[in-house]
Amino acid sequence: MRKKLAIKTPQSLLGIINIMALILFLFYGDKLEKNIIVSIIVFMAIIYVSNYVLSKVSKGDNYIFLITAMLLSIGIIMIYRINPSLGIKQIVLFGIGIISFFATYFVLKKIKDGPKYMILYLGVSLALYLVTLIFGKSIGGAKNWISIAGFGFQPSEITKILFVFFVASYYTKKDEYKKIFKKKTSIVFMAVSYSFIGFLFLQKELGTALLIFLVFNVLFYVYEEDRKLISLNLLGAVIMGAVSYLLFNHVRLRVDIWLNPWKEVASKGYQITQSLFAIGSGGFFGTGIGLGHPEFIPEVHTDFIFSAICEEMGIFAGIAVIMLFMIMVYRGIKIALEQPNMFYRILALGITATIGFQAFIILGGVINMIPLTGITLPFISYGGSSLISSFIALAILQVASEELDVEEEDDDYEPRVQKNN
Amino acid sequence: MNLESKRIIRVLVFLSALFISLILYLSYFQIFKSEKVLQHSFNKRNFIGEEKILRGTITDRNGETLAFSEKDGERQTRNYPKGSLYAHIIGYSYREYGKSSLESTFNDELLDLKESNPIDELKDILESGKEQYGNDLTLTIDDRLQKKAYELLGKEKGSIVLMNPKTGEVYAMASNPVFNPAKLKEEWGDLVESEDSVLLNRSTMGLYTPGSVFKVITATGSLKNPDIDKNFNCEGSVTIEGYTLSDYGKASHGNIDLREALVKSCNVSFAKTGVELGRESLRNIAELYMLNKNIPFDIQTAKSQFSKEKMDDAELAATSIGQGKTLVTPLNMAMITSAIANDGEMVKPILVKEVTNHKGKVLRKSTTKTLSTVSTPEEAAELKSMMKDVVERGTGTKAGISNVSVAGKTGTAENETDKTHAWFIGFAPVEDPKVAIAVVLENNGSTGGTAAAPIARDLFKEALNVLE
Repeated sequence: MRKKLAIKTPQSLLGIINIMALILFLFYGDKLEKNIIVSIIVFMAIIYVSNYVLSKVSKGDNYIFLITAMLLSIGIIMIYRINPSLGIKQIVLFGIGIISFFATYFVLKKIKDGPKYMILYLGVSLALYLVTLIFGKSIGGAKNWISIAGFGFQPSEITKILFVFFVASYYTKKDEYKKIFKKKTSIVFMAVSYSFIGFLFLQKELGTALLIFLVFNVLFYVYEEDRKLISLNLLGAVIMGAVSYLLFNHVRLRVDIWLNPWKEVASKGYQITQSLFAIGSGGFFGTGIGLGHPEFIPEVHTDFIFSAICEEMGIFAGIAVIMLFMIMVYRGIKIALEQPNMFYRILALGITATIGFQAFIILGGVINMIPLTGITLPFISYGGSSLISSFIALAILQVASEELDVEEEDDDYEPRVQKNN
Repeated sequence: MNLESKRIIRVLVFLSALFISLILYLSYFQIFKSEKVLQHSFNKRNFIGEEKILRGTITDRNGETLAFSEKDGERQTRNYPKGSLYAHIIGYSYREYGKSSLESTFNDELLDLKESNPIDELKDILESGKEQYGNDLTLTIDDRLQKKAYELLGKEKGSIVLMNPKTGEVYAMASNPVFNPAKLKEEWGDLVESEDSVLLNRSTMGLYTPGSVFKVITATGSLKNPDIDKNFNCEGSVTIEGYTLSDYGKASHGNIDLREALVKSCNVSFAKTGVELGRESLRNIAELYMLNKNIPFDIQTAKSQFSKEKMDDAELAATSIGQGKTLVTPLNMAMITSAIANDGEMVKPILVKEVTNHKGKVLRKSTTKTLSTVSTPEEAAELKSMMKDVVERGTGTKAGISNVSVAGKTGTAENETDKTHAWFIGFAPVEDPKVAIAVVLENNGSTGGTAAAPIARDLFKEALNVLE
């Protein structure tokens, strides 16, 4: 009964928000896109059905999917308001995202020996890198897009998930690797990890590189036995940061814009200053949807969607979005703490850190709290690759939240929190 | 709890801290920084509504048009028919370069903007298609006097402020060098790079060493304190704490009283007076005259500066004759003169007389307010009479007009360059003051009496002629 209620209350809240958005869109714009009514109804139906199916098939966490649905609703409302045809596309992409969610969920549940596929994780990552290098297209200064049958696709979105799998499988099977690499095991692991970061850095994909760096550090901090290496690693990171600032123009540029975006307001600082105007003009309560001018920010529907939310729905809505991510991270950490299986525990922690840091990097970037590095806001930004990879990540978290029937390898772990929902 | 769990919880704390820092920064930005950020000229939002609203017209006190907007299809253009004459008063309004002076400070009035709130905006959108108009401004400026002021300044760098000493209405305010707001697009590059600070309104923002015009402040101090010695023996120079201060041309004035000291602008006498008054007392008088104070005005003003630090007697002596660290704006000097002319009451200067809507209904009328009472009417009368003597038989004779009694004080201010500023402050007619003036010629090199006083005279003549 309680469980039913726990799902139903947020779900009806979601329903109310989406119905309100639908009514708003009926009056929005000169000419109504007929598709929008159908699209939003389909969108709501998919959320409802998915939630229902999930509550039947999964005994795990009920909240993370609801939080995601809330974030998605806010995103789709905002994207539709900025560009109706992109809004409809995003609903279609959401459908694909849901398919990938359930596909990942069921496939992952079938796999009982995830840690064994280390070579696969590394091989696919390397392949994705090489493919991008050879067939990649430059969009926005970074060579990070490939085109498959006319659809643009960003391989790094998959790489960041593969990286978490790689780390999880390494720490789960660390004893085996120790037999091969002896004392140098940790060093080899670090070298491979940094090559992930280095490859992305060379593609000028600073956002994802930074993200993987942070996720690596979190997992390294929690699981590395050689504690001296952790401080050494941080020291090295600081030095590398300083060196890359001095050596690489694209790094220096980001830092300089961050320090003073007004200096070159007409050129390099244009996007971030337009974002600050948008956030500032919204005030705490926003101008109201359709009454602001988020379209002044170039590429507002992807990386800068948060500025649009702040302008039209207000800083309070912005804070609400931040808090939704915070709850998501809290649920993710809870899942990690409860999961007895080490591989899935690391996956849960890694995925949670990925979502959390990714949100922080772009949110901090668009409000100019930290240097801006192009990366999408999970579940909210427009874009197929981002949405699909976010749903894959969510599915992994969903699987990790369940009691799993897999080969147990370490029995000494006691779940800290008792299952109580 | 095992070690791993502890570490995982630390990760949670770390991530939560990051999110909370986002919330804090976002709130901080909204509360403390956004207001200023939104004013930036690259914020296109400021111009969106403006295109739909016909920006108000600005006229002088007699209805002469000084700035107006025209609709040109979807866009509108701002016209400045008087060219550079109002560059520093009205300023400019351009998408690319933003706004300055009245175009900036009265932007909301010119566009008839109310407190922005979404419900009102919604209503506007529903009512869209309706033409919207901003409000019109009527200035206190008289176009004829403004033109005359610039004519008299000529190519000279500096400023003239002409105002009504009783009401505070500013009749003319000229500042050189000047630019043409109508040709801003062509001139912008040069303006920004110019070393002469062309964009600076010297009348309200220019800080000058006052030199001898400051003596009216020191004299006020002397009159307010009966104990202060009002008879001096001037030997042409005086040495205070090793610092020798001499009179213009090393002239020795002999035994003189305060009146003669002001008439002859005797440095020795005023240095002695200042030292006797003391730092605190002199500073109090200066602050009554609005030095170190924000002057409320319709456009941006700078604070005149009177040193707040400790001074030795040598510095105090220099300060009492208007040298030292003291810096004043021409507007402040005009207000000081006005206060003396207005029986010791300093009134708030006014630039915008009326705000009317496009149908001509008066929305707001400025009223005269007293900013500060600097002296009693008796002390003011004494100062007036002394200043009248300055023009009749002292350093300011060149400001004299036949049939009209003029009062004034000249100044020749030494500064960090080797060329002195020439000052004149004054008012006319003495019996019933109608106009008060401050003239400063930046780095002119000659004395206030020879360079600035004739300008004041000519503008007084024109003003007394033109004003009803």
